[in-house]
Amino acid sequence: MSDSTQTMGTGAGAISNLRLGIGVIGLLIGLFAIIGLLSQGHETFNTGSNIAWGLPVSAYVFFVLTSTGLTFVASLAMVFGMKNFYPIAKRCVWGAIATLLVGFISLGLEIGNPLRMIWVIPTNMATSSPMWWMGLFYLSYAVFLVWKFALINKGDWNSGQSKFVGIASFVTVILAHATLGSVFGMMGMRPFWFGGMVPVYFLITAALSGLAFIMLFINLDYGLNRNRMSEGARKAMNEQMPIIFAIVLGLVIVFNLARTITGLWSNVTEINIPMQHIVGTFWFQFEIWAGLVLPFVLMLTAMRSNPGVQALAGALVIIAVFIGRYEYVVGGQLVPLFKGAWYDDLIAYSPSMTEIGVVILAASIGLLVYAFGDKKLNLSDSPN
Amino acid sequence: MAKWGMVIDLEKCTGCQACSTACAMENNTLPGESWQDVLYYKEGKYPNVNVKWFPRPCMHCENPSCMHVCPTKATYKTEDGVVLIDWNKCIGCKYCMIACPYGVRFYTDEKPLISPDIKDAFPGQNGQTYSPPYQNPDQDWTRGIGIQPKGVVSKCTFCHHKISKAPPGVADLDEDVPELKEYVPACVRTCAPKARYFGDLDNPNSNVNRLIADKRGVRLLDHTGNKPQVYYLGDHGSVPSFSRPDKS
Repeated sequence: MSDSTQTMGTGAGAISNLRLGIGVIGLLIGLFAIIGLLSQGHETFNTGSNIAWGLPVSAYVFFVLTSTGLTFVASLAMVFGMKNFYPIAKRCVWGAIATLLVGFISLGLEIGNPLRMIWVIPTNMATSSPMWWMGLFYLSYAVFLVWKFALINKGDWNSGQSKFVGIASFVTVILAHATLGSVFGMMGMRPFWFGGMVPVYFLITAALSGLAFIMLFINLDYGLNRNRMSEGARKAMNEQMPIIFAIVLGLVIVFNLARTITGLWSNVTEINIPMQHIVGTFWFQFEIWAGLVLPFVLMLTAMRSNPGVQALAGALVIIAVFIGRYEYVVGGQLVPLFKGAWYDDLIAYSPSMTEIGVVILAASIGLLVYAFGDKKLNLSDSPN
Repeated sequence: MAKWGMVIDLEKCTGCQACSTACAMENNTLPGESWQDVLYYKEGKYPNVNVKWFPRPCMHCENPSCMHVCPTKATYKTEDGVVLIDWNKCIGCKYCMIACPYGVRFYTDEKPLISPDIKDAFPGQNGQTYSPPYQNPDQDWTRGIGIQPKGVVSKCTFCHHKISKAPPGVADLDEDVPELKEYVPACVRTCAPKARYFGDLDNPNSNVNRLIADKRGVRLLDHTGNKPQVYYLGDHGSVPSFSRPDKS
């Protein structure tokens, strides 16, 4: 087995320590910010009866779909046999576990009675609910993902059991992301969300956010230096990944433009007015031009193999996809539902410090989990 | 078993909010937690302005989307056609609030609408979010009746603690019939212009069915497929579509 951790050098070590430091500081900030949540409950959120789902749910959607995307990339090697991707597969699986954990923490701190889920969901079998199926598939996915990592961490990449678990995690995450898409896409009473293409949109944007995390984190893990990578990893990151990243970026740009143009043209109030509002914000313009178009252009040039450029593109896309999730989740609730003169304009919402703290806390835990794996679990390992 | 429904005559409704007040008193709801509300809308520009008002309880739909999306079956439909919430099962995911087309559901733990916060003035006891000195004695968390615990969703129950005790087979619950008035929902009983009617939609002889037929009762957002059991009479059984205020 190759072990490139020994060759990663001081640059990678410094970045790893920096990441650990950011994780610890973020954890402390997050814990401080959620003191209000622990003492006063969800009154410290700016969500409520008008905007039911805010920043923490947006973060949940973002991180669990990022986990989905990371599993897609790991599956290129472990399910579809594309051997070039083996050198980054273990790192992707561990990243998928970390991001899934971030999503679960963010959601767990958002809902009213999270512990009650443990017994009321399995004992009531509410199979008509897309959310019930989402929970089932994401839980199954989590089990298979941890199981798969345990096997490859023991060096078992190709046994029958390992292959079965790899395929099972791939299938369950396809089902999980589709049901998450259905949680939104089936809501005919929320026209901004509604549509059969939502699971497909989630699929393609999940792949994009997973790829963006790879572009950022794997390049940082090796100190932005290709010479520290094994030959296989170097080939994957220099040749295949930028092309795949560019193709998926192009598809997402087309999807976003199509969605935006149809939204702006539509005469359905609940679609048209939120879309006009969103397009008029700085964040939307940043998302499209700096977060999607610029990285796409960078990936079309000869610079696409440069680790620094890849990391920059990855970081910009992560920000863009996060903005997109927030716009989507909150945008679907901006038009007041039967509120009359209580609200004569779009519902004003911006996340509270506690909501921001919840996301910082969850993301910091994820970062620390990833950093732990990077230091202790030989994530650059791959089969002979 | 009856299938309870409500008829609201918009030609009679004066928008006085007595129904909203009676509901709040009967069910100990918090300010802003308007299980029953009368919404005001204005259309047009000065000098041709039209002010409309629209009473909005829970629609207790025949095909309730809030029930279908609930991941724990906390929201359910009773045999007598009422949509209720079991607070012992509610996890506070708020998916039902997303799925309700009528905006009739409320989350307990949100910023207070007015100051002082009622929850601070009357701190909760025995699991209640707040415990005021005067409470409806009919508390039943499995039906979402009473003062709710933290972290759950609440909504209008059609005063199920009253209507469920009505004599079997009765066609209408009319506050003018002395022996039935204790079973009439608070909003119906208090309505001064008698704009509200409550009865059995499955009983062909009920007054509510006659009114729906004779006065062409309509259901709100019928295209959603939820099939409300609240019908509106009058020539403006709808609300204006949303538009942003003219800031110029």
